[in-house]
Amino acid sequence: MDKLISLGDNIARLWAAYAPQYLNGVRNTLVLAVAATVIGFLIGLLCGILNTIPYTGRDPMPKRVLLKLIRGLVRIYVEVFRGTPMVLQAVFIYYGIPYFLGYNPFKGNAGIWLCSLIVVSINTGAYMAEAVRGGIISIDPGQTEGAKAIGMNHVQTMTCVVLPQAIRNIIPQIGNNFIINIKDTSVMFIIGFVEFFATHRNIVGNNLLYFPSATIEMLGYLCMTLLASFLLRHLEKRMDGADNYDLVASDALTTTAGTYTHPKTPEDLLERNLETKGGRPHV
Amino acid sequence: MSEPVLQVRHLSKSFGANVVLRDIDFTVKPGDVTSIIGASGSGKSTLLRCINLLETPTSGEITFHGQNITGKGVNSNAYRAKVGMVFQSFNLFSNMTVLDNCMVGQIKVLKKDKESARASAMQYLEQVGMAPYIHARPRQLSGGQKQRVAIARALAMEPEVLLFDEPTSALDPEMVGEVLSVMRDLAAGGMTMLVVTHEMAFARDVSNHVVFMADGVICEEGQPRQLFEAPREERTKAFLSRFLQH
Repeated sequence: MDKLISLGDNIARLWAAYAPQYLNGVRNTLVLAVAATVIGFLIGLLCGILNTIPYTGRDPMPKRVLLKLIRGLVRIYVEVFRGTPMVLQAVFIYYGIPYFLGYNPFKGNAGIWLCSLIVVSINTGAYMAEAVRGGIISIDPGQTEGAKAIGMNHVQTMTCVVLPQAIRNIIPQIGNNFIINIKDTSVMFIIGFVEFFATHRNIVGNNLLYFPSATIEMLGYLCMTLLASFLLRHLEKRMDGADNYDLVASDALTTTAGTYTHPKTPEDLLERNLETKGGRPHV
Repeated sequence: MSEPVLQVRHLSKSFGANVVLRDIDFTVKPGDVTSIIGASGSGKSTLLRCINLLETPTSGEITFHGQNITGKGVNSNAYRAKVGMVFQSFNLFSNMTVLDNCMVGQIKVLKKDKESARASAMQYLEQVGMAPYIHARPRQLSGGQKQRVAIARALAMEPEVLLFDEPTSALDPEMVGEVLSVMRDLAAGGMTMLVVTHEMAFARDVSNHVVFMADGVICEEGQPRQLFEAPREERTKAFLSRFLQH
């Protein structure tokens, strides 16, 4: 019990002294995670769409060669960025690009932001490319046939019918990636990006209160990811539309459940009683 | 004699070594209601899918108002907009409401504005008795209701020919009636229809031409009365007797 009280005391002292730094770290983490997830999703969407353009043996040669080439390139991109650690990708790009360009495009704080955004985005994109591809091929071919049968071309079929459903289906995947990004942006400390975890490293460097600060970090990350889960669930529900629908008028061909009022007693069924209850008394 | 709308000449289709259709020839004139009957696997659905170019014929040609639509450089989307199709599994767009299902084709393909698309969608939904359900989504409807919406969606494109691929085969028995009654009304209204069906009563009473298929060929065709009451071919007799027993 004493330990818990002293832990609470230490946390309170840390928070009193460093709250602005912690909150700044939270802000940087969230901004990077949101921006990188959005850009990564767009990269993944593009790759997924390019990867699923159909072609048959009857298509002209250049089209087939081009589509095969695109599929090959997307495949290489996915395998390379999914198959190497993000912390290493950060170092590789942060030092590699200046090495080849001969000048440093990642100067100062803005440069660190830019590099972090690029690394996390293309990493997310590699995962999203596969998620989008899976989302597209999971849509019932009947949906595509229905669209084709009313004369829609490939682009219209994709934008109106297939992608809205595919994106809805991969929202849990997007949520996964977003939550992973909230946590994994912490590896960007390697190139000097000051997010939530880097804040912790800076603070404990001064006062050695490792465990209390780590507790703050744990709670902070958990709050961020729980909030993200909640918002994503809400988004899913909104995309599904209302659970119920309103009838506009009566249907001539079927009796809708709920529109027919059952008579309460057998006597109500008798025609004369129906007439009297209709409001016009017999004279 | 009116000009034929659709003409199928020497049409063949094979999937690999499996020959599904062999040298099919037939003609559809405006206002014709043609029923295609036959056992499962006889190639009826494949024929219909070839006519809508959902399958590419292996050989032969299909002409629409005299124009060959199986050749290269033909705009198959423009052709499909004029030939509606109703599927066994409905294939309504599950991300849209009933109304949007009937509007999207008019807006995207026919380039109509929203108001007139809505007006004609409402008109056809009313015709099939689904106007009350415009805000519902396909997953909230029964099979019969879905199929009626699918018919309205096809009608909203104002097609010249409507193809039905076993429209009642996926429905519960009590829902078959509501779909068939919509189709009867359409036939009475002069719509040109090509119906693949197992509903023999519909084929006999509503259509003016019946095609009996077996093993990828047209075995016998003719007026419904002749085909049902005095079939010439042995296989037609065998098929019909099996159906009439049940």
